[in-house]
Amino acid sequence: MRRRHILGSLLLAPLMTACFASSGGGDSSGDGKAGSRLRVALAFPPAENLSPYGADATILSRLGVTEGLTALDANGSAAPALAQSWRQVDDRTWLFTLREATFQDGSQVTPAAVAAALGHAAEAKPAPAALSGVTLTAKADGGSGVRVTTGAPDPVLPLRLSSPSLAVLSSKAYDGKDGADPVGTATGPFELTKVTGSTAATLDRYDDYWGGRAQASGVDVRFIADGTARAGALRTDEVDVAEAVPVAQAATLDKATRKETATTRTTSLLLNSASGPFKDAQLRAAARRSVDTSALAEGVYEGYADPGAGIYGPAVTWAEGKRRQPTGRAGAATPDGTRITLATYDNRPELPEVAQVLKQQLEKAGFRVTLQVREYSRLESDALEGKFDAFVLARNTLVDTGDPLAVLASDYTCDGGYNIAQLCDKNVDRAVAEAEGVAGTAERQDAAMTAEAAILGTDAVVPLVHQRIITGVADSVSGVLLDPYERTLLGTGTRR
Amino acid sequence: MRRHVAALVWRAALAAALVCGIGLLPWLSRTDPALTVLKARSADRDPTPGVLADIRDQLGLDKGPLSLLGEWLGGLWRGDAGRSWLSGDEVAPAVLQALGASLLLMAVALAVAALTAALICARTLWLGAHRRLDGRRSGGGGSAVLAALPEFLTASVLATVVGVQLGWLPALGWYGPRWTVLPALALGLPAGAVIGRLLDDLLPGAFAEPWALAAAARGLPGRGIARQAVRRCLPGLLPNLGLFVVGLTGGAVAVEQIFDIPGLGRTTLQAALAQDLPVLQAGTLALVLLAALAAGLAALATRRLVGPALRDGALQSLHRPAPSVRSTLPFVYGGLLLLVVALGLPRDPLALDTGERLRPPSGSHPFGTDALGRDVLARVAHGALDTLLLALAIGAAALLTGVLLGLAPRLSGPLVDTVSAVPPVLLALLVTAVAGSGPATPALAVGAVAWAPLAAHTSALLRQERAALHVTATRGLGADRWYLLRHELLPAALPPVTRHALLRLPGIALALASLAFLGLGAQPPSPEWGLLLAENQPYAERAPWAVLAPAAVLALLGAIAVSAAGGVRLPRRVRRRAPEPPLEETSPAEELVGAR
Repeated sequence: MRRRHILGSLLLAPLMTACFASSGGGDSSGDGKAGSRLRVALAFPPAENLSPYGADATILSRLGVTEGLTALDANGSAAPALAQSWRQVDDRTWLFTLREATFQDGSQVTPAAVAAALGHAAEAKPAPAALSGVTLTAKADGGSGVRVTTGAPDPVLPLRLSSPSLAVLSSKAYDGKDGADPVGTATGPFELTKVTGSTAATLDRYDDYWGGRAQASGVDVRFIADGTARAGALRTDEVDVAEAVPVAQAATLDKATRKETATTRTTSLLLNSASGPFKDAQLRAAARRSVDTSALAEGVYEGYADPGAGIYGPAVTWAEGKRRQPTGRAGAATPDGTRITLATYDNRPELPEVAQVLKQQLEKAGFRVTLQVREYSRLESDALEGKFDAFVLARNTLVDTGDPLAVLASDYTCDGGYNIAQLCDKNVDRAVAEAEGVAGTAERQDAAMTAEAAILGTDAVVPLVHQRIITGVADSVSGVLLDPYERTLLGTGTRR
Repeated sequence: MRRHVAALVWRAALAAALVCGIGLLPWLSRTDPALTVLKARSADRDPTPGVLADIRDQLGLDKGPLSLLGEWLGGLWRGDAGRSWLSGDEVAPAVLQALGASLLLMAVALAVAALTAALICARTLWLGAHRRLDGRRSGGGGSAVLAALPEFLTASVLATVVGVQLGWLPALGWYGPRWTVLPALALGLPAGAVIGRLLDDLLPGAFAEPWALAAAARGLPGRGIARQAVRRCLPGLLPNLGLFVVGLTGGAVAVEQIFDIPGLGRTTLQAALAQDLPVLQAGTLALVLLAALAAGLAALATRRLVGPALRDGALQSLHRPAPSVRSTLPFVYGGLLLLVVALGLPRDPLALDTGERLRPPSGSHPFGTDALGRDVLARVAHGALDTLLLALAIGAAALLTGVLLGLAPRLSGPLVDTVSAVPPVLLALLVTAVAGSGPATPALAVGAVAWAPLAAHTSALLRQERAALHVTATRGLGADRWYLLRHELLPAALPPVTRHALLRLPGIALALASLAFLGLGAQPPSPEWGLLLAENQPYAERAPWAVLAPAAVLALLGAIAVSAAGGVRLPRRVRRRAPEPPLEETSPAEELVGAR
């Protein structure tokens, strides 16, 4: 009988351990190298095995694994990364000059390798978001040049190439049948060594990084989707950095551990200008006037947001100085009990609260409001078809490319693919089209602000708040890169 | 043998129908899987026609649902469950790994549940073993409160207080035995409370059987008698235990999220929302197989425990020997609930004032305020009517269906297992796909699964009752089946099943609220109780009153239901059986002498 028990437990033991998740390899911390390992909790688990062509690209870029030819600087313009300089040859061709760098598998970053990497990205299906609607070919040009040609003139190509989804990987990454494999094939200061499903990942320092050796010897990443759990992990000292701490949890962290960053995310109220009561511009104006944005920023976001100023918030540093007064606004009518449906989604916990506060504000002005709150994927197609009169949306205003005009074109023009406000206005279309043709950075920004004024003039969108993101950083950690564009987090100077 | 084959065929047919239903889900509900997959992969991506076409190509969606389903089934034959539509990974290893974590969690949770149930029954066992049970009211307020506790609330409290503030046990991850304790507690406590209540309900009947009396007279130790009494009652509970095994494995979504456990519940939830059909099909199939296995084991255990007696029709009826003593407790609980509602009704549940947010209880806000500065007392009171009426209606419908289907165990047995194996969100999506998203859909979706434990309970009780001596005797006197059913079987089964249904009322209210994110059921700012709990959960640590108030009234509802259950027992006909010995008057020893 006893023997059977022993046998049983011998058989059970490996079975039991198989049922636990393997921890992301934190045991390699005492390996004698200088600098200790960082422990990071990220909010969004990889959805596509860390493929660089989808949203997972951001994870890789935030962890300092991958790099592109260019990067975004604090002012939202293109800065050198793997390319140390570039120039425009003609309106469809750019020439990038590479710096001396090596891939994490030891091979050289050659023009041919870069051209191949960009070629693979251009052929990926579905295409990376930064390349949607763009045809792009890259060719090696001499010993250190890469010539990039686009199908149509593209004045923002250097900005576009800063997108994490256009990261440069070595030829080994493309050996597999499907997609690109970033494990040990990128160029950043940290090398991805192990991925444990969608729960954890292990990074080691890449000693030959062109920008100098990173101070941390490695990173243990955990993907924790639940915001409360992330904050809890930081409080129990299980991680050193926790990204995207929810507003509701911020107060449970010490003041010194909460790092706020203004982000390019703007939460707006979109009014359906094609059908329903808000077809009437005067009612839209009435809705705009009834909204009190500071109550939202203080009352719902607990001060971790700025009241809505425009489509672009304070994180877009150049916007405030160039902002113009909205043009052609209609006078407000009295709503007089007009019934409207206000929809939003609960994937971001604050949005249902925003919607409930808005409901009260709109009802005070005379509207009668019904709320619809669903999971985002259950809501989007109805929203795009214009089934709701009003919609509360949190939108990243510098999507994918870092080009301010992309969001205006897709969200507010007649042909826009994400036009929840159903806006189709000749003046807006003209302003956006004119701006898209402008090449110089400053001029393009000016034109974008003119277009913003035209859009705000229609009252189809009411900017509510500009969100700030809260990153929890333990006291012992320094050098975390807090980035309004949410593309970086760890760098060579991050250490514990 | 033929009966077994028929049952097996029926089971297989149900599983096949379920897999086909999942395979057709996007086409039935007219939700484009390309869109949901895109949004699950990257929420910020604009769904332009080109991108959607690429995804459709990648997944082969244009081939239509039938050929996709055929391919998947063909692959399954060779042990290949396809590739995930989201990540492109192989499905089988991922689902098996998640299943492993979930099974382990379930096993530990069951141990906790067993312990909880034992504690709940301890008093009855002790009294019964020492033959002092008669005339005493069974307790149960405490266990009913425990059974009404929402898992996610227990989980949040445990994670925050024990895990973070006290730091006694790790509250995050799944790396070893120490990590299993808190999640297992959160899952096991309510489950154990339900099982304990059901067992506690049956035990007095077992202690009143002649063997117990004889054993006591013989001077057998009380411990032995108690053990035999538990053994005597277990067969009536085993089917429900089997359902718990399945429910805890696939339905622990909230607990898995809070403790960050890579289990099957989260996997299937994500797959259901993204319409990642291969993962969803494989996960559901694994759960259905587990359910069949659990049901088979339960049947086997029943046979081991009381097999010969069942065959020979030599069981006693497990009726409670005497009607419970009526007590004033339900009136106390009910009065308390009424008081809360009466105090809250004059207040405004919708008026929000963000300047007054998260205020602790005070004179002007007796229950404090929530995250938007609304009065919690007002919200609890105004939500009471909607919540209670709907939960009661669904509960009643579930009771009726459960009892009716419980009468036909061969038909309902596999159906019960299959239905309770389906993850609740998936079931809601399937119901929505069939019935559309009308106002009745959430009730249908919850009702579609609420009857299952009641049917399992009914059929288990009936099975024992059919083997009871009094039924044999009545049959011997020439009673037909109808007569037996009406006068002998149903009166025996209905009271415990009704009490069971009442015990599950709070669960129904919570299940209704858990569907809100699909756009079903109550929408904010409605003060429905489940919604109140959900919207205040993120603030549980900073403003515990905002979750405690709705949780307390829900628990109060559970306590009322259980303590009032004595009053809902059906008036039984004049006893046809030989009257049980009036235990109060005769001492066991005398009785034994008389028998000799």
